[in-house]
Formats: sequence, structure tokens, C-alpha cells
Amino acid sequence: MFRSIYLKSLRDYRVPILGWGLGLGALMAVIFAAVPSVFATPAAKAAVVSIGASYAWIAEPIKIDTPGGYATWKYGITILVVVIWPLLAGTGMLRGEEDRGSMDVLLSLPRGRLRVALEKLAAMWTALLAMGLVIGLLTFAGAAKVSSDLSLGASVAFGLNLALICAVFLSIALLVSQFTQERRTASGVTAGILLVAIVVDMVHRVVPNTVWLSQLSPVYYYNLSKPLVPGYGANLGAMLFLLALSGLFGAAAVWLFARRDVGGVSLHLPERSSQPARALPRADWSLRSVYTRSLGMIATSTLWWTLAIAGFAAWFVIIAEQTEAQLKSLLQSSAALGDFLKLGGSDSATNASILSAFFIFMPVLLMAFAVTQANRWSADEEDGLLEIVLSTPQPRLRLLLGRFAAIGTATIFISVLTLIATTVASAATGLSLDYGNLAAASLSIIPFGLLVAAIGYLFAGWLRAAVDTGLLSFLLVIWVFISFIGPGLSLPDATQKLSPFYYYGSPLLHGVQVADLLVIVAVGAVALALASARFARKDISA
Amino acid sequence: MSSIIQVENLTKRYGGKRGIDQVSFEVGEGEVFGFLGPNGAGKTTTIRLIMALLRADSGSARIAGLDCWEKTIEIKRLIGYVPGEPSLDRNLTGGQILEYFANLRGGVDRAYLKKLIERMDLDTSRKFRQYSTGNKRKVVLIQAFMHRPRVLILDEPTSGLDPLNQQEFDGMVKEARDEGRTVFLSSHVLSEVEKTCTRVGIIREGRLVKLGGIHELMDIKRYEITIAFARPVPADAFAKLEGVVEVEPLSNGSAVRIAIQGAADAVIKEAAQYPVVSLTSYEPSLEDIFLRYYERDDTAPIPFARV
Repeated sequence: MFRSIYLKSLRDYRVPILGWGLGLGALMAVIFAAVPSVFATPAAKAAVVSIGASYAWIAEPIKIDTPGGYATWKYGITILVVVIWPLLAGTGMLRGEEDRGSMDVLLSLPRGRLRVALEKLAAMWTALLAMGLVIGLLTFAGAAKVSSDLSLGASVAFGLNLALICAVFLSIALLVSQFTQERRTASGVTAGILLVAIVVDMVHRVVPNTVWLSQLSPVYYYNLSKPLVPGYGANLGAMLFLLALSGLFGAAAVWLFARRDVGGVSLHLPERSSQPARALPRADWSLRSVYTRSLGMIATSTLWWTLAIAGFAAWFVIIAEQTEAQLKSLLQSSAALGDFLKLGGSDSATNASILSAFFIFMPVLLMAFAVTQANRWSADEEDGLLEIVLSTPQPRLRLLLGRFAAIGTATIFISVLTLIATTVASAATGLSLDYGNLAAASLSIIPFGLLVAAIGYLFAGWLRAAVDTGLLSFLLVIWVFISFIGPGLSLPDATQKLSPFYYYGSPLLHGVQVADLLVIVAVGAVALALASARFARKDISA
Repeated sequence: MSSIIQVENLTKRYGGKRGIDQVSFEVGEGEVFGFLGPNGAGKTTTIRLIMALLRADSGSARIAGLDCWEKTIEIKRLIGYVPGEPSLDRNLTGGQILEYFANLRGGVDRAYLKKLIERMDLDTSRKFRQYSTGNKRKVVLIQAFMHRPRVLILDEPTSGLDPLNQQEFDGMVKEARDEGRTVFLSSHVLSEVEKTCTRVGIIREGRLVKLGGIHELMDIKRYEITIAFARPVPADAFAKLEGVVEVEPLSNGSAVRIAIQGAADAVIKEAAQYPVVSLTSYEPSLEDIFLRYYERDDTAPIPFARV
């Protein structure tokens, strides 16, 4: 495996290929496994059809009363998760190596830059193809148990379609990384592009006559193929378009890489010519303590996440108003729908109950933010950034708690901005809400973010950054699985209580459930205490 | 001279791998102590144990009578530290980094800090990631010296510095010594230690193998001279000279490579008997010296003692 850059790169991707392929494939298999219980009675089936129409903004419900249609619809939103690894791999492929300084060594070999980049890109595409194949095979295995209609070809086409959208965002990430000085920035920008692409694709399902807008998003072309839906199949044109898009962005990135400075960027902004300075920035607030410095470090990413989370929340309010009208008519025809809506932890009588079903995503988003921050903590130690800080008379505990307090401040900022955004959106759309409960729903997500950060800090006491982040993300996916798919699988109550989302409840309807929230706070506090105790005694990575 | 650093039977293992084993030494206050050893010998492990970045398996390290692990905060008020592989926030400017560490330390004289910046000729307006290796090293050195610490712990501090800045650094170390401050300097470059240190400890494969005054380095110091002649000369003529350890004839006898330990006076005088075309001398790396010097040695640890 060390005979070429292509094979060495492929070797590096073997764990993600298996991990993400098996994980995401297993998710699909589980969705199929839930089909018999979801379609247990004709009434339940009718309820699924009805609710599918209401959630069309997330994923288009086509033949949702068939196993393939249901699985395709249910899997729809996971695009956000599926694309994360290719996105990170895309920014790490060239820029990551430049950050680490290993690109200099690689380019000292008698191989052209173009070839180095192309071999790495080819390895990445091969990895995605393998990942798609694993997902396709597990989808087929899952589908075979509940339906004999689905062919192996259709399952593989499903996996291939996933691999193609992954390849597009991988290439976009690679292209963006040609313009940023650091991998981290490229990842953030590409994540923003991904979110915008998902929202732009959603628009035509919510606002009439806006297909032209959605056609600007690659996700729209991904959704044109639904190989698992009987009679719908794969859209070869759309798949070829995704392939071309991926090739185009990838080629542009490689072309730029071959022409720029290693460690530099493709587009240089004019720099102010200045004389060498000897001054010290005495007035810079962010340099006064570990806490303020930590706050300064996460300020930019917090702003982006605030924009995304508060934006999503406001978007939820806007679509809740439209959903309300549809549900009113549906409720009259389906009693089972009321039960189904309990996914969000509410009855279905008010505006708040509809919004409550959407608001369950808010702690998920804040927890995803916390995962990135926990990653930064463990990465900083791994990169040796704590070494000199710990040579100053600052206790280790203050360093850890200062960083944690900064995350706490960021989560409060995000929550408050989310509250403001939803309040403004509700006032603008005329959607009547109990503002006390809205405040409870927005602000009670804070402990969930802090819980994930505390667990991430605890893991960092033993694990390297990549493993810490992987484990934390996996935990988040498991919790999402328990709370969002678990009810369909009739998981026991004790299992559902293992997911923090269980304790979020329905604050939009019932206000803050103090006892439930205290469970999260207590678990978070224990995790932070253990993390502190470990950090106070551990060897600091060199 | 009272001891300010006391290391006694310090031991650290990384799982099943060697770290350091039973390392003991003392450093007197106001002394410039050189800590020598080849790569991977255990220098950085010893320093990181003193800095309480690692926790010892056994043994103890004390500074100013305080246990390095138990009283780490008090000790760090006394210390200025340069790590072997310094890493700082790439997105901060040099000025921001120094201001941040000055705030974390507290009580830093900004006028003195500015003097150090000027002395090292550092442009504080550039981001750390934009600095050359040498300029990055300057930032790290300035943050170690800026609070006039009682003890400076420097892990291979000059790697990446150009000769001018190395000279400046030597001057800073001498000034620190003249002010009665203690410098603990790790290096794998023998000549660097010779220039600045009064006493040395040599570590190899995790064990302290030599501890003594700088003059004792002469016992192990060895360098090589290659002399090219206009015509072949008898190599045997050099073999019996004082200080000559090894002679190797080159180019059919028209050149010789001579390994010398101690003074080269006898060799130069002998070479002057013949028509010399060129003479080159080089100092082998510490690894080479150790390989040769200790290849038959048992390397037993020296008992805890002040020399």
C-alpha cells in the first residue's frame, strides 16, 4: 500500500470508508427494519403519508407508503451527516498536508504537483465509491427483509448517488481550500455552502414556482434520483451532472494547486505595505486572560454557527405557519396523525405543537457546534499549543475551565440570538406564540451544548483529537437515532431515556421542565468534573 | 553556590517505552548548566517533567526547594521556558502573542519587553504563521526572557536562529548569568554548550552518563581534520602524535583524515613539514561522539552528587 501516493492515500481512508459506509448503511438497514412497525395498521400507514406531506420541506415524500419510498424520505435529511466526512477530507487533502508541513516533503519527491494532486483526488473518489458500495449493499440487505421489490441494482444506484453528492462537496471543499490559508477556514466555509445548498433545495418544496432557484443547488440533482422508490428510479442525467460538477470543481482545484505557492493561497488580497512594527497591542480585550483569549478564538466560528442555528430556527417558524394550514385539514381525516406528532413531544393543537416538532432539531444543532469546539480543545493539546501557556503561572484547571466558560458564553449567545430570530420571525409572519415558552425552548438548549462539550473534554483526557471527535459524533448520531428512529422501532422507555433529547421535552408547549433539564445539567457537571480531574493530572502531549 | 534545581532519581516511562531512568543532578543558583545528549536521549522528557507537563513515575524534581508537580504555579512564577518544539497560535501576530503571555504572567515590564523586541529585531505586526522559523523562535525566546525569570529552562533554544541572532542569544544568556539568574540549557550541539555553560550533564538512552565542569568535555571532545597535500605523505607520521586517535589515508596518500582528541598543536606542526594544499576541520555531531566514546562503555548512571 506504500507503492504510490494513490495507494497510500487510499490506505489512509480505509477507516472512514468502513466507518462511514457501515454506519450510514446500517442506518438505512435500520430504517427498513422499522418499516413493519411503522406500517403496522392501515391507519398508521395513512398517518405516515399525511405526515410525509407536512414534512415535504425536509425531503420530498414520493410513494412513502412503500418501504423504498419511506426509507428514501426518512433518509433525506441525513445528507447533512453523509457529506461531513468528504467535506473534511476535501479540505484536508491538500491544505491539511500543507498545514502540517508534510506537503513540502511530498513535493520533494520526483513527481509533479499535478500528479500528486490527481493521485490523491483519485484515491478520494475511489474511497467514496467504496463507501457508496458498502451503503448500497447494506441497503439491499436491509430492504431484502421487508420487501422483495428492491433489486440489488437499485440499492447500488442509491449508494452511487450518495457517493456522487459526496464527491461534489468534496471537490467544492478542495476548491475552497485553494483560497484559504488554513484547513479549518475551508471546512467552515464549505459547511456554510452545504447548509445554503440544502436550504436552497428546500425552497421549491415550500415556496411555489421557485424550482429555478433550487436548481442552483447540487442537492436538487441528488434528490432527482430515488432508485429505491418503485417506478421512480435513478435519474441518469442528474447523476451525470453531479459527476461533471465534481470533475469540474476537482479539476479547477487541482489546476489552481499546481500554480500557487505551497502554503499560499490562489487569490492574494492586496496587503498594506508597512514598516516593521515593534508595538504591542495593549488595548486588545481578547488577550487579557485565558477566558477572553478562548472567546476570541471561537468568535468567528460562533458567529457562523449562530447565523446557521438562528437562521434555521427562524426558517422553522416560517414553515410552521404553512404547515399549520395543511395539518388542520389532515387532522380531521387521521386520528393517528396526533400520535405521530408526539415525536416532537407535543399534542398537535396549536402553532407551538407544530413548531415543537421542528424545534427538536435545535439541541442537535447546538450539540454539533459543541462537537467542533471539543475537537478544538483536544487538537490544541495535540498541536502543542498548551505547552507554553502551561509554563505560565496559570493552573491547569483555570485553563480548562476558561476554555469551557468560553463555549458556555458562545452557547448562550447562540441561544439568545435564536430567541431573537424566532421572535422576529413570528412577529413578521403573524404566527402567534407564547413568548415565555419560546424563550424556554431557545434557552433550554444551552445545557445540551455544554453536555456535549463536557463529554468531549472528558474524552480528550485519553483520546487523540480525531478519535475524540469521531466518538463524540458517533454518540450524537446514536442519540439522534434513539430519539428520532427509536419510537418507530418501539424501543423501550429506558433506552429512550439514554438520549439527551428525551429530556428536552416540549418547552414550546409546557415551558421549562426543570427536573428533566437538571438531569442534563447534572450529567454535564459530572463529565466536566471528571474531565477537570483528569486534565489536572495527565501528561500533556508533546 | 546553593542549588536551585534538584533532580533526584527521576524516572519516566511511556507505557513500555523508555523515557528517562533514575536521572539525578543539581544546578546551582546563577549557574549556566548545559544538558547534552543525542536526539531521543531523554533531554526533553527531563525538561517536561521539571515543567510539570509530565508526571514522574518515581523520583522528584524541585526548584527553589519546591516540588515541581505539587507547587507548579509557584515555580512557574520563577521560570521562563522555551520548549523544544514551540507551537503558538498561528493566527495571532507576534505582538499579540507576547501581550497575551505578558498578561498571563502578570507584572511584565513592558519597557523591557520592547527592548527585547528591538534587540531581537522582531516585527511584531506579522502573524505567527507568516514568520520564518527563526522569527518564530525569536517570539518564543522573548516570551521566556520578558519577565526576567529567576530560572530559564531552554530546550534547544537556538535551532533555526541565524548566526547573528545566535550571538544575540548568547549575549542574553550571559547577561542573565551576570545578573545571578540560572540557565538550564539543553542542546545536542557541543560547541553551543561550550560557549555559554559552566557545567554540563550528559544524558544518553534515558540515563545520565556524565556530570561535570565544562573542561571535562575535553575528555570526550573529538574533532576531525582533513589535510590535503601536494604529494603523498606517510600517514604513520601522524599516528603517533599526541592527541591523535585515528588516521585514515585518502587519495592514495595525498590526503589524510585525522581524528583528534585534545589539542591539535602536534598535528599542525607535523603537517607543516609537508606542502599543504588545504586543511579542513569539522566537529562531529554529538551522536557520532557518543557512538565512538561510549561504544564500549557500560554507561552506568553516576550517583547523585554535586561536582
